[in-house]
Amino acid sequence: MTDVQITIEDLSGLPEGKSGKLIHVVGQLDESNVDEKAKEIYSLIERESQALTLIFDFSGLEYMNSKSIGYLTDWYSKVTASGGNVVIAAARENILDILQVVGLTQLVNTYATVDEAKLAVSQ
Amino acid sequence: MIYFMEKLPKQADNRVTDIHIYIPTQAYFLSGIRDFVLNLTKNMTGFSQQWAYRFQAVVDELCNNAIEHGSQVGQKIKVTLISTPDKSLEVIVEDTGTGKDKMTPEQMTTLFKERKHMVGEKYLGFRGRGLPKIVGEWTDEINFGISELGGLKVHIKKYLRKEEDKVSSVTSKDPTHLILK
Repeated sequence: MTDVQITIEDLSGLPEGKSGKLIHVVGQLDESNVDEKAKEIYSLIERESQALTLIFDFSGLEYMNSKSIGYLTDWYSKVTASGGNVVIAAARENILDILQVVGLTQLVNTYATVDEAKLAVSQ
Repeated sequence: MIYFMEKLPKQADNRVTDIHIYIPTQAYFLSGIRDFVLNLTKNMTGFSQQWAYRFQAVVDELCNNAIEHGSQVGQKIKVTLISTPDKSLEVIVEDTGTGKDKMTPEQMTTLFKERKHMVGEKYLGFRGRGLPKIVGEWTDEINFGISELGGLKVHIKKYLRKEEDKVSSVTSKDPTHLILK
């Protein structure tokens, strides 16, 4: 299995009634690991009763395949359907390139840094 | 994973490097082929780093399709990389045709065209982006044929930008050979 680590921390400073998580992804998301890792995010989404904000910190993400983009799209659909928000922060050029070619940047906002993403979702 | 490289005389057919790789049909091995393609493209083809990352994704998607749909576990798929420095890079991925979703070249051509229409900019589906968007958008030609291994052979070609204008005027009479740009 290709190496990837996902760590999740609470987001503070969100508007009342909203909760949020900052999700750090480090390594490569591919066919060998994405199904297993996706369960952690689905579990997180299913646990939340209030509108959820997810910031994906992709500063350590080296590669993502089309299936992992499919998961990201599905999380976006589920979270926004409940009044929440999903954004991407600090993605490397090759990751932004692949997100753009599949059209995901038309759906999900991207920010150059985690701090910029935090500022955007707190407003 | 088996690597085999042969250097061909430049005068013979203008192919400089021809590399054949056999990969066991397990997703575990895909990271190795991605690293190899990234380094090969950066160092031996004349393509930019951005294109090196793009080819990494293209090859990953093609190999994964061959493993997931075209071959059974315990077999090998074949990847061929043909680099003509400062001109083009070609990738050929062949499967054994023993997978659960075996398709003919004609069926794959139809599927490719359908998905190109289906996957728009705000597509919310879970699957279906790899072939039409990642492979389709980042290659100039794609040809679906029959492999000697018994399955599908997908042959893609990307020209360096200075050659792309020439490509756009090319037409193909083969219904499974698509000129994309």
